[in-house]
Amino acid sequence: MTYEIYFPNHRHLLTSTLIRRERTLPDTGGRIDVNPMTRVGLNDVIAHTTAPSPYVVIDAVRFLKLRKASDLDALMEVHPGDKIEEGQTIAVRPRGKRLISPITGSLIYVGEGRIILQETAETVEVEAGLNGMVIEVEQGRGITIEAYGAVLQGMWGNNRRTVGTVRIEPDEGVENIFRDAMDIELRGAILVTKRQIKKVTLQVMEDQGFIGLIAPSMDVSLIDDAMKAPGAVLLTEGFGNMRMSASHITFLEDMRGRQGTLDAVLPAPLEPRLPEVVINVPLTGTNRPPAPNTTQPLRRGDPVRLGSGAVGRVVDLPKTPVLLDNGLRVMCVQVELVAGEKVIVPLANIDYLG
Amino acid sequence: MSISRSTSILAVDFGNVNTRSILIDLVDGVYTLVAQAQEKTTAGFPHGDVGVGFVRVLTQLSVNTGRRLISNEGRVISPEQSDRTGVDLFLATATIGRPLRTILMGLFGEISIASGKRAASGTYVDILETISLGENRTLEDQLNAITLARPDLIFITGGTEGGAEEPVLELAQMARMALRLMPKGVKPSVLYAGNSAIIPQIHELFDKLTGIFIADNVRPTPERESLESAQKSLAQAYNAFTEKRGLGFDVIAEMSAIGVVPSAQSYQTIVDYLGRSVRGGILAVDIGSAVSTMSASVKRYTATSIRTDIGLGHSANVILNAVPISAIREWLPFQATDDEITAYTLNKSLRPATIPETVRDVYFEHALLRASMRTLLRDSRPTWTPDTALDNLNTPMPYFERIIGAGAALTGTGQPMLTAMLLLDAFQPAGVIRLQADPHGLIPALGALAYIIPEAVVQVLDGRSLEDLGMAVSLSGIPRKGRAACRVRVTDERGEVTTHNIMGGTIVSIPLPLGVAANIQVSASGGVSINGKRRLKIDVIGGTAGIIIDARGRALPLERSVRGLAGQLPAWYEQATGVKHAIPDEWLSGALPETPKVEEPAAQKPRRGRRKKAEEAAVEEPILSVTGDPAAEAPPKRRGRRGQAAEEPPPPETKGEDIDDLRNLFS
Repeated sequence: MTYEIYFPNHRHLLTSTLIRRERTLPDTGGRIDVNPMTRVGLNDVIAHTTAPSPYVVIDAVRFLKLRKASDLDALMEVHPGDKIEEGQTIAVRPRGKRLISPITGSLIYVGEGRIILQETAETVEVEAGLNGMVIEVEQGRGITIEAYGAVLQGMWGNNRRTVGTVRIEPDEGVENIFRDAMDIELRGAILVTKRQIKKVTLQVMEDQGFIGLIAPSMDVSLIDDAMKAPGAVLLTEGFGNMRMSASHITFLEDMRGRQGTLDAVLPAPLEPRLPEVVINVPLTGTNRPPAPNTTQPLRRGDPVRLGSGAVGRVVDLPKTPVLLDNGLRVMCVQVELVAGEKVIVPLANIDYLG
Repeated sequence: MSISRSTSILAVDFGNVNTRSILIDLVDGVYTLVAQAQEKTTAGFPHGDVGVGFVRVLTQLSVNTGRRLISNEGRVISPEQSDRTGVDLFLATATIGRPLRTILMGLFGEISIASGKRAASGTYVDILETISLGENRTLEDQLNAITLARPDLIFITGGTEGGAEEPVLELAQMARMALRLMPKGVKPSVLYAGNSAIIPQIHELFDKLTGIFIADNVRPTPERESLESAQKSLAQAYNAFTEKRGLGFDVIAEMSAIGVVPSAQSYQTIVDYLGRSVRGGILAVDIGSAVSTMSASVKRYTATSIRTDIGLGHSANVILNAVPISAIREWLPFQATDDEITAYTLNKSLRPATIPETVRDVYFEHALLRASMRTLLRDSRPTWTPDTALDNLNTPMPYFERIIGAGAALTGTGQPMLTAMLLLDAFQPAGVIRLQADPHGLIPALGALAYIIPEAVVQVLDGRSLEDLGMAVSLSGIPRKGRAACRVRVTDERGEVTTHNIMGGTIVSIPLPLGVAANIQVSASGGVSINGKRRLKIDVIGGTAGIIIDARGRALPLERSVRGLAGQLPAWYEQATGVKHAIPDEWLSGALPETPKVEEPAAQKPRRGRRKKAEEAAVEEPILSVTGDPAAEAPPKRRGRRGQAAEEPPPPETKGEDIDDLRNLFS
């Protein structure tokens, strides 16, 4: 491998940049409600989709005591495709039993003596989540929005998206916000804590009504709780007991009081998004910031983040593999950390922050 | 398809983390691996398109070879031009992509469903639900299980040949009903591999609804299993599905001579070929980021298992569903809570390409790696014998003449001896074995190439293009620590002799440069043997790890306490890498749980009495004279064993037959 063409991983930490994000519909499809070149706000609904809903199977032959399955067709009061209400008659024997719908939904299928109903699917609204411009619409699939703002990308999210104002935890920590000391500022906020999430953190989140939580790390035993949390949860470092890097703290403190979108994407193979918080930052002057350069090879001076969360700049790219203390011999990069310390780390373990 | 006059061949393999490319060209009339390159796969953030990594890796290959391979538009230049730009043939393989989401239906869990699962283990399949007639769920529950899972495939098994037809038809009718309920565009395909008597009815049920694949009955009789036909159909179903997977593969597939072939198919092809050209078996294992593959050729029958739940990157978050934590802890020389091990796996899945930086992390990584390989081995073994439905896992491991390791965690240590040790730890072979690594993704490429130019595959494999780690001699029995377990006399090509006393409980690399021939004589001390023999004289070829002598014993005598492991494992790492690991005392503090033993084949369990053990080990595997050239090997002597027929070595073959074999294989 020649280092002149080594392309690093990207995980942005940018105070002002051009952001393009796709809002895609689930594979169940849906309807897109906006047109290209439309301005959208954070909470604007840009599409509607439906969640898959279960079927109800009724053994009509047995219920209506029919001799053969083909007798059912003549007794049907409603037909495939028809909407039905709970309690509505579906089929009836002359001067005999009535078959009543147990659900509200639609009649899907009649055959082999069975009737299949489907509950009304829940409609899900898809919000823009960004203040920006719709630059592309692909009907049935999704849209692309372009916006300007600050972006911090983390490691893990609980698969929720929320929009709120960024607040920083009190000095004594989230855990010490008690129910009786309700802080009105926290309601509907995205709260930043520099400490590892504990069970009580998630309880306080629910009690205080903040809708987003940004934290460095979390114990693995809390994953289920975090998935059920009332809002979006983003980890900047990962699982275990890890501290938030100084750069992240500075970034988030600078964003205090601003509105942002916490898109806590749950990482998965082939998921093209990272969990992130995008914050609206007013543009100064007429110059528009460029989009992050994701095609540039790693160079000396580039800002990078290490696996440990520490941030620094590339000072050297050794041309041969380096023997690590653990016995592995791998391609490495030398990084000067913010505090001035120089460290050698595997090239594969760094993220380019730009 | 035949492009017999192709001289230059470019192959690109898309892994979940790395995209690797190789260039093969005719050198003095022989197909030779000329260059290789590797870049990150760009399917995830920020590109979401494998094409970006594709252009990068080909640019790098162009720089390395001084030969332009890609146009300004990002397309492979083909055919090769008079100025040597471009290539005649381009091939693509991939492990990337989500597995085929499958609903498996059968009559009984322990019969047809079990066989269906084994058939599915050979393809990138994720079984979302199993549905059988005997279960307690209502029809409504079963229909909802199928429809809400949104499968890509419904795989129907059930019924023996000549057996009852009605229950299988009932299953098929349920599948049909589910299909009718699903919206157009998301209806899954159907694969039927049950009682063949109802195939006409199956066609009637599904022909107008969706695509259908018909395969031989996976369970023709209660005692017999027939998986090959179903496995082929599953591969076809997967191919059909991957054409729609996006991520830029449509562009790649259009340029490739054979579309984008699943890498696991290549493992099956190449291991099958290698298995036909050697006397012993061949075992290949690829522990990838999201998918792991094991192919074994045993007695000229090849079986491949694919696990989407075992991987050391993207799949690390689910690995603990497949690999017990106790099996991981067996390889940790320090206290680690379940939460800490789980956190390591979860963090690895968040940063799949990460390389362990610390001593503690390297032990976590390699513990996961070894435990994964052992789980894969344990679960794959039943598929190695095609005609036996229920394998006895307590029978000894078949003899493997060669073990090939692949996957970045295994081949990317930068220390060939460490890679060799990891393979030996996982499989614990006894006797003489050739260890190889495939760091450049050669096997996926050659497997795809075999469909088009089989002779190129033969020539590239003969050209030692896989990394030869070296010949390993592993002693059976338990050597005594602190005493010489064996004496090794190495006579090199110039007649110079060096002698090495190998201490019991150690693993040692005797230097011998790559490709250099030597003769070694190994004399085992009392209590240990080389497959039951006290002396061994063989010709060897040096590997990147020289000659490997594993005098730690078989079964590998792993300490059972953390403190014991803290003395044992760092010593082995030091012997393999030259780097001494310090295990701080505080890592050992706290209660020391005895590591529960994971179920293993009896061949690897400690036996009563060393003498008895050595005797038993003596008949498990043959001792070969090994030169790396199969034709030069002396036929092994085999003895019978109580109640167990000894394996007869297959007859030697000529090279001309190799190519014919391969052609036949792909016809």
